[in-house]
This record gives sequence, structure tokens and C-alpha cells, in this order.
Amino acid sequence: MKLGVEERWDLIDRISKETVTFGVYRHTLKDAIGELTIKPMTGIPVAIAILYGFWSVFGSFAGFFTDGFFVRLFDAYWLPWLQAVFPGEGGWLYAIMVDAGGIESGEFVLSSNCLESFGVLTSGLFVAIGVVLPAILIFYLMLAILEDIGYMPRLAVLIDTMLHKIGLHGYAIVPTILSLGCNVPGVTATRILETKKQRFIMMTLLAIFIPCGAQIGIMQDVVPDLMGWILLYLIIGYFIFGYILNKVIPGRAPEFLIDVPPYRRPMLSNIGKKVLGRVKGFFMVALPFVMLGCAIVGVFYQLGVIRFLGDLLAPIFVGWFGVPAETAGPLVAAFLRKDLAVAQLSVIEMTKYQMITAVVLVSIYFPCVATFVMMLKEGLKELIGALAVLAVTVFLYGGLIHLIGKLLGVA
Amino acid sequence: MKKKLSEMDYDEQGTVTEIKEDLRKRVAGMGIRVGKKLRMVTKQPIKGPVDVVVDGAETSLGLDMAEKITVEVA
Amino acid sequence: MKILLMGHPNVGKSVFFNRLTGANVTESNYPGTTVDYTKGWMKIEGEDVELTDVPGTFSLDPKDRAEEVAVAMLHESKDVKVISVIDASKIERGLYLALEIIEEGYPLVIALNMRDVAEDKNILIDAENLERILGIPVVSTVAISGEGIKELVSRLKDAKPVKVDDIIANAAKTTITADAAGAGGAT
Repeated sequence: MKLGVEERWDLIDRISKETVTFGVYRHTLKDAIGELTIKPMTGIPVAIAILYGFWSVFGSFAGFFTDGFFVRLFDAYWLPWLQAVFPGEGGWLYAIMVDAGGIESGEFVLSSNCLESFGVLTSGLFVAIGVVLPAILIFYLMLAILEDIGYMPRLAVLIDTMLHKIGLHGYAIVPTILSLGCNVPGVTATRILETKKQRFIMMTLLAIFIPCGAQIGIMQDVVPDLMGWILLYLIIGYFIFGYILNKVIPGRAPEFLIDVPPYRRPMLSNIGKKVLGRVKGFFMVALPFVMLGCAIVGVFYQLGVIRFLGDLLAPIFVGWFGVPAETAGPLVAAFLRKDLAVAQLSVIEMTKYQMITAVVLVSIYFPCVATFVMMLKEGLKELIGALAVLAVTVFLYGGLIHLIGKLLGVA
Repeated sequence: MKKKLSEMDYDEQGTVTEIKEDLRKRVAGMGIRVGKKLRMVTKQPIKGPVDVVVDGAETSLGLDMAEKITVEVA
Repeated sequence: MKILLMGHPNVGKSVFFNRLTGANVTESNYPGTTVDYTKGWMKIEGEDVELTDVPGTFSLDPKDRAEEVAVAMLHESKDVKVISVIDASKIERGLYLALEIIEEGYPLVIALNMRDVAEDKNILIDAENLERILGIPVVSTVAISGEGIKELVSRLKDAKPVKVDDIIANAAKTTITADAAGAGGAT
């Protein structure tokens, strides 16, 4: 027999009266902190401070390990050693695996660092281990701490008002932040949203506007002074296109209803397990795609596919987006490897604004293959829909950024 | 005095007297029901969610939901 | 036979899961969704039994995709026993979910977890009486320290489907006797 809601509660009341005694409850310090961090007057400044702290630690930790350690290791030892021992210098296998090099005054010259060599074993490995690993590790460590002490639901409550305007609700902050590490677990986390409409909006926005740890890591490394502008454009795009999607897509966008658990002391074993699991997940799922993507980009370069597509699309890139013609190659390659594309872009001569435009374009491009597969799991129809939105968004937003640049007189 | 949950003041306490039919099931699992005492902890600005404590459990619910809950305030 | 671990989010379900299972744990994707769940093996009286950590849910009326999966996993399982993990400091809403599962005819064991937290809040629960009223095993636990886990496992064999009418009758009976005793004392 099944009871109605009221009957069930009546029964629970009766059982509870028989078996539970509620003593006087004294408020604890934990409760006080809990309330201070959820009341807007105090909670919002605290949230901003926490996010700013998160970003600062992320930047300095990742920078410390990448620049201070891995750059030296890879550029001073690994690259010269491979360049010397790998057979067939100047050949196609050498170009794909180690160093595509460059032609200077008619002669083949080797690259001087792992960002310009574009080999699977050099750039691919350097990006994966030297740039992405430190970034992902510190990112997931800090996120796991925030999750374990129980801060995330409070952040969700504070940001609900804003996200409600784009058809989502506060809890959408969880997939959004997770995606800053890797879009794959971000897509997984869309499960906390109620309706198909909400999950579609969320997944599409993640795939388009949220750069993953690999991208952020490499941006931080090659264009650190432009990070603020790039992220600003991405955040603005997230809200503009979220707002449009919410208006256009049919379906319900129900309100927010969440449990706000009390704070608790973080448990080292919990945090350790979470971080290890996520880092492992990243390396099992995403790393093969990094290496494979690298290899495919290399093959395409060798076959002239990228040059061909680049030449074909260059008029659009130059005319519509306002970036130099040389960026066509990397922008095409970005379909496969965004992080490598950012590295390639960083060595091309262009204005700051063009660089911002190009990097934003790379970010909002086609999602990485791992994310693509993840979205396919949610349904083919959703995936095709998301890709259609993506194509339109890249075209419109890229044009808009160019227009803004023109209006500001910088493009 | 009766008022909607969305109209309660910070830290005000009261007993739930009515929950609109369509919401009853949705909030039942969170422990929010007719006859329960609750305390309004805080609400977020610009039509943001309302935060309540029921039986020591804190729940945050959207403003439209809070408007469907009536509370007898002492 | 299979065991499902069910309860609200943040009641220590995964701590239970880690305590109960050994090394052979797999994480899978529920078909057609991005919702993950973990599965492992636990020993009950020397036998290996499959244990599934069902995504957290507040009721059997799902309000999001994760809760939908939780409910679907319960409904499609045959020959299954449920360990209902309840945060003892929020026992009433925990019982709401437990009752829903009982009403659907599943055999259940209740783990009153975080007993220590409840005691800190001056909430005392008469687990024995609760067990008598519900007619199913009720075990107080502190999953983080491992307290009560062994007893929980040993009581799994006593889990059986119960009729809601019996629970209602049991609850009424105790009320009457308590009232009678009270009245007797007054005269």
C-alpha cells in the first residue's frame, strides 16, 4: 500500500514522537559561519574573495611548476635530446613526432622550444605533462577542498539569481566550475539539473564558453597579460547566449530547490580520493585525445590539408573576425587541439586585440573530442543541436568581438 | 499573522499552514510540510532564492516556490 | 541477491560504500545518461554480494536526472535488499524516503548514521523502539569511524518486506499504551 504525502508525514510524526527526543539545540560557530556565508551582505564579498583566492593560487602554482620546472626540463634537455637521437631529420615522421621545424632563408631549422616544435613527443607531451598536469592538479585539489567543507551549495545559492536569468539555476555553477578543469566531468555534472532544456543549455554553454584546464594552463603560459580580457569575453558570451538559448528553446526551466548541508571538517582521505580520481580520469580520457589530436594535426599539416582549409577560410577569418591570415592554420587545427592552437597563435605576429579575438575564437570552437563523445551519450539529437548552436555562436560572437574592437578603435 | 514564506523577515520563525498542491510533493522529501516550524534565514536580492531551516536542515528554494508556502508567524 | 545503498545526498553513503566493499570497485554510467554510480562486492556470511551505491535522492518523486536514475535503479532491481542510510540528526525526512521504499515492498535495513552528530545536537533516538515499530532492523552507525558497520551487515538477513498497515498499527499501539500509562499515573 502506498501512502499520500500527508499520510506519510502523519505516520512519521507519530513514529518520531515515540522514538525521538529533541533536546535544546545550541547554535555553534559552524552554524554562524554557515549563515554569514549565505547571507548576501556578507556572503557575496566572501564568495568573491574565495574565487579570487582560487584564481591566484591556481595561477601561481601552475606557473611555478610549468615555467620554473617543466619548461626548463623540456626545452633544455628533452627537446635537444630527441632532436639529436630521432632518426630522419626533416622527414615527415620526424616532423610529426618530434619537430616540424621551420624554413629560414631556404634552410630547414630546428625549433628552440617545445611550444613551437609541434611534435607528438615534444609539444604533445609538454602540453600534457608540463602545462596541463600542474594546472589540473591544483585546480581539482582546491575544488575538492571547497566541495568537502560544503561550500559549493552556498555558492550556488548566492549565484542563483544570475543563473536563473539564463534558464538555469544556482546549481549550474557546479558543472561550470568543474568544466574549468575538464569539460568531461562538467558534462557529467549536468545531471543535477532538472529538465532536458536546462541540461541542453548547460551542456551547450559548457562546450562553447568554458575553457578547460588545458586551455587555461596554456593561455596562462603564453598570453598571461591577455587572460583578463579573454575570460571577460567568455563570461559575457556565456550570459548573452544563455539568455538567448533560454528564450529560444522550448521546455521548462524549473526553480532551484537544494539542500544546504552544514559545514564540516574536510577529510584528507576524501579529498585525496577525489583529486586522484579526477586527475586519473583526465589522463585516461583526455590525454589520449591530446596525443592523438597532436598526431592528426601533424599529419594534416604534412598532407597540406590544414594549409588548404586555411587558405579557403582565410577570407572569413580576415574579413569577418579581423585576425591576420597566418592565424588560419592554427584556427583550423584548433578543431582538433585547442591548446596546441593557442600555442601556435602565440608565436604569430599580431595586435593585442587580434590575439584576444583569436584566442577567444579557439576557446568557443568545436569542443574537444572527449567532450564530444560525452555529449553524444546524452543523445544524438542534443549533440547535433548543440553543434548547430555552436556554429552560429562562433560566427556571430566572433563578428561581434571584431565589431566591438572596431568601435573601440583597436581592431 | 499569516504571510507568505517569501514575505518573511530575516530570522523570523513560523509554522507552515499551507503549501500549494503542486509543490507539496516536491518539497516533502526535504522535510517541508504543513504543521512544521521553520525559520527564514535569508533571501537573496533581485528575486533570488529564500533560505529556510526546518528541523535543523537548511533548504534553499526559489522565490516562486516560496510564494506558494503560507506561514503563521507568531 | 543484490544490495542497494540508498539515502539523501551528504549522509555518508559513499563512506559506507568504501567501508563495506573491497578493492574490486567499478564506476559506470547509467545507460542513456551521464549519471555515474559505483558498484562493488561485499561479504555477507562468507558470500560475495553485489553492492551498488545509488545516487543520492530525497524522495522517490525525482526532481532531477540523478534522482531519476536513483529511482530507476531501485525499480528495475529484482531480488534486492536496500540499506537506507539516514542522517540521524535529520531523522524525520530520512524516514520519509525509507517509508517510500518500504511502501513499494522492498526489504530494508535502516542505518541511523552520524549518531555522534545527532547527539551533539541533543537529539536522542530510541533505535530499539524504532525497530519495533517499523518491523525492520535499525542500526546506529558512525560510518566515518566504522562504528556499527559489522552489526549492520549481520542484520541484513533480517530485512524483510513489511506492510505499512502494520507500521501504522504498531505506532498507534505504542501511543495508546503510553497514553494509558500516563492516565494510570494521574489517577
